[in-house]
Amino acid sequence: MKLITGGAYSGKTAFAVSEFGISDIKDGAECSISEIFNAECIRNYHIFVRRLIEANTDPVEFTLKLCSDNNNITVIMNEIGCGIVPIEKSERLWREKCGKCGCIIAKNSDIVVRVICGIGTYIKGTRI
Amino acid sequence: MITLITGGSKCGKSALAEKIICVFSGRKFYIATMKPYGEEAFCAIEKHREMRHGKGFETIEKYTDLNEIVLTEKSVVLIECMGNLCANEMFRDGKVINPTEKIISDIKYLANMCECLTIVTNEVGNDGISYESGTEKYIACINEINRRISQFADNVIECVYGIPVILKGELCC
Repeated sequence: MKLITGGAYSGKTAFAVSEFGISDIKDGAECSISEIFNAECIRNYHIFVRRLIEANTDPVEFTLKLCSDNNNITVIMNEIGCGIVPIEKSERLWREKCGKCGCIIAKNSDIVVRVICGIGTYIKGTRI
Repeated sequence: MITLITGGSKCGKSALAEKIICVFSGRKFYIATMKPYGEEAFCAIEKHREMRHGKGFETIEKYTDLNEIVLTEKSVVLIECMGNLCANEMFRDGKVINPTEKIISDIKYLANMCECLTIVTNEVGNDGISYESGTEKYIACINEINRRISQFADNVIECVYGIPVILKGELCC
C-alpha cells in the first residue's frame, strides 16, 4: 500500500503516474464505494471520506477494511488539516475523519510520499 | 531538551509527543491549555485523557499565564497545545492583544525547569482562506510563536498523517 499526500494541485496524481506507473485511477469524488476494493489507485480520498460520511458509513472503519482487503492500493489524498478550525460542525467532523483515515493509511503503507511543487519526498519507505 | 511538534488537525501529533515524553524517566506533567467549553471540547479532552491513561502524567489545567506554574527540577513536560494557549492569551478580557512576547517568555521560563519540554502546536495557515482581521491576526501570531520557538528548540518535528518529518534536530524515539 502507498499513500501520496500534499496540498491541492501539488502534482500528486502526476507523481503517482510517473513514479509508480499507475494507469487506472479511480476518482474518489465520483467512483462507486465498492469498486475501490479492487482498484489499483484512488485519488481524492479526502472527498471520498466526505461521501462516506454522507452515506452514513464510518470512514475510519471503512478505511481499516480497505487496508486489510486491498493492501496493494495507492491512495492519493490532500493534506487538509493545516488551516483554521472550521465554524461548521460537519466541516470539523470531515476534517477530523480525514486526519484519522490518513493516519491509518500511512501506518498501513510501505511508502508515504508528500508532494510539493510536483516534487515528491519519501517520508516513509524509500524509492524502489 | 526542547521539542516542538507541529502539523495539521488529527495528524498524530499528541501520540508522537507522548512517545517522546515516555523516553524520559522524570516526573511527568501534562499542561492542558484547552478550555473545556462545549460538547466537542469535552469529547476531545476525554479522548486525550484516555490516550494518556497509565502513562504516569500529572495533569495541570492552565489556560493562560504558564509562568505561574511551579514545577520540580528535571520535570518532563508536555504542553498541549499552542493553538489554544495563543487564542486564550490573545483574546482575553474583551481585548485583542499580541501574546507572542509573553508566551515566548513563559515557555522559556518552563524550559528552565524541565529536563524535557515538548510543545504541541498547529499548522493553521495553509487553507488559502482569507479571514476577518481577528482570525488573520491569530494566524500571524501562532506562526510567529512557532518560528520563535523553532529558533531555540533542539528539535522541530512535523507530523504528516502520523509520519514524523524532522525539520530540525532529531527524533529521540
